[in-house]
Amino acid sequence: MDGLDPAIVERLMQQGRLPNFALLKARGDFKRLATSVPPLSPVAWSNFITGMDPGGHGIFDFIHRDPATVAPYLSTSRVEPPGKTVRLGNWLFPLSGGRVELLRRGKAFWEMLAAKGIPARINGMPANFPPVESAGISLSGMGTPDIQGTYGTFTFYTDAPPEDAEDISGGRIFPVTVADQRVEATLVGPINTFRKQGGSATIDFVVMLDPEQPVAKIVIQDTELLLNQGEWSEWVRVEFPLIPFLKSVSGICRFYLKEVHPDFKLYVTPINLDPEAPALPISTPASYAKDLARAIGLFYTQGMPEDTKALNGHLLDEDEFLAQARTVLAERLAMLEYELKRFRSGLLFFYISSPDPIQHMFWGPIDPDHPAHQRTTGIRYGGAIEAIYREMDRLLGRALAEVDDRMTLIVMSDHGFAPFYRYFNLNTWLKDNGYLALMSGGRRGESSLSQGVDWQRTRAYGLGLNALYLNLLGRERTGIVSPDQKAGLLDEIARKLLRVRDPVTRRPIVFRVYKASEAYAGSEVGSAPDLIVGYNRGYRASSKTALGEIPEGLVGDNTEKWSGDHAMAAELVPGVVFSNRKIKVLDPALTDLTVTILSEFGLQAGEGMRGRRIF
Amino acid sequence: MFGSKIRIDKALLEKAERHAIAAGYSSVVEFITHVLEKEIARLEEAEFEANAAKKLQGLGYIS
Repeated sequence: MDGLDPAIVERLMQQGRLPNFALLKARGDFKRLATSVPPLSPVAWSNFITGMDPGGHGIFDFIHRDPATVAPYLSTSRVEPPGKTVRLGNWLFPLSGGRVELLRRGKAFWEMLAAKGIPARINGMPANFPPVESAGISLSGMGTPDIQGTYGTFTFYTDAPPEDAEDISGGRIFPVTVADQRVEATLVGPINTFRKQGGSATIDFVVMLDPEQPVAKIVIQDTELLLNQGEWSEWVRVEFPLIPFLKSVSGICRFYLKEVHPDFKLYVTPINLDPEAPALPISTPASYAKDLARAIGLFYTQGMPEDTKALNGHLLDEDEFLAQARTVLAERLAMLEYELKRFRSGLLFFYISSPDPIQHMFWGPIDPDHPAHQRTTGIRYGGAIEAIYREMDRLLGRALAEVDDRMTLIVMSDHGFAPFYRYFNLNTWLKDNGYLALMSGGRRGESSLSQGVDWQRTRAYGLGLNALYLNLLGRERTGIVSPDQKAGLLDEIARKLLRVRDPVTRRPIVFRVYKASEAYAGSEVGSAPDLIVGYNRGYRASSKTALGEIPEGLVGDNTEKWSGDHAMAAELVPGVVFSNRKIKVLDPALTDLTVTILSEFGLQAGEGMRGRRIF
Repeated sequence: MFGSKIRIDKALLEKAERHAIAAGYSSVVEFITHVLEKEIARLEEAEFEANAAKKLQGLGYIS
């Protein structure tokens, strides 16, 4: 259960609102679970999957950089286009296939189980796209892209676009015209690499509005939908033509008719990979995704499907977001039932995303101290977080009904949660303290690592949510910090970061600074950020920091609906571990669970694994 | 050797020739080619980063 927080669980158990968690704790045990450094989902889940810390598995953040160019990229997977193509007119035909690569290193624990003939069903594991090949059965989770290759890009069609339509992130707003109660629109699909001039594959569709009633008919390819205002469609399969009559790619999406009159507003989910015909590998064996779809219907294949971007951008409101999130959870519950019916022996791992996005988006309403808190949303949505915890309790009750004395049950989360009150511009701090320099003539507040930085005078830079890198000679493109300067410089930067105070609240912004050389062990330590910044409770790196920008201002209020987070110091956001067995270790960690699972099946810890058995 | 032909304003060409000599290029063609390569690389890097940012902004963590 992603993001389940121990403090919230304890409070609700004491209030009698989580009877199944309380029962499990009474019968077995409950402890805080130490999370990863930094406590980000792809890092944490990679710790759990491999039993190694980031020095072993090589996932250090959501975002990594290429030291040769300092360009950012998604940390867990990479899609490579076809190597060789042949041109015929306007078309490029691949001679050698492209491929998608999982960038996480190390063996997944279920590979070890499967190698010993121990059945393993791994459903929705984050940081496992594309899924590792093994005899185990698996469905990829967080990190699985949509058909555009992003983490999820929604589309919104309206004849009344907001003023900031161009600035919406995580989605696209298409202004449309209503003419004679008819809207003509285009659904955008993947980049069509078969076309010489590039561009995206598209599908035109039509919406016909009832002139008086809040009803509309959507006609897209062979599908006709009749939706009332405020109604979601079922999944719609769409085929994007790549080469007419020869090649197409299938995706699925849902339509939400937000408004018909006076303004037209239509939301479309990110185009998900079709589980019955995925354009990229999402399961092992390949047929597993199709089997699931045949059993429970089409489902979200995109990694974290709850559309926080649409809510953050005010394209969906809170009720609409919660409705969409309920759909995601309903699909997962149906899939869990499917798995529970088939679970006979071995290991079943099942992932639930829901607590994480709900806590990200609804911390503001429950916390009067939050800059995003508004009394109205506080009243209406102040119970959203408790509600999802109670859903998790009900889900646990269902699982407990299947557990007998022969089984070991573990309920875990990858990290906890904290409020995200104030953002910190790390690169701006580095600049103000002489570690990062801008070119003369550069416009204040408009520089970024790719534009305007004087690399001949820059010694350190930030990219990603917690990562700080030195501009190291022999590693970075124009590195200037020599190896013998490295240790002293890191100590100096760490000392100064720990002394930074919020100019408004006077609170320390940074709780702890970790050196990769001390926090990590393994073959990938050389690729790690030099420092990992562990922010204090309430603070997080700004989005601009994560993308390598250098804006004006050091600290600011987070007034976004994305109001809770966990990208702080690991000690401040532990996760949870419950079991029906007594946990003998006082301070269990994610990597301990890996070793424990292997031990349950009589296997020794794998090479490089750093954990202990918890039972 | 026999690439496309493009027209350049005479005054601009004269400036390019002066700078090519001052910067030590073997010819104005070499200078112009180098300038274009640099500019295109910059634009491609900007486009790559815009695409990377777009992909990354699908993460709720980045607005």
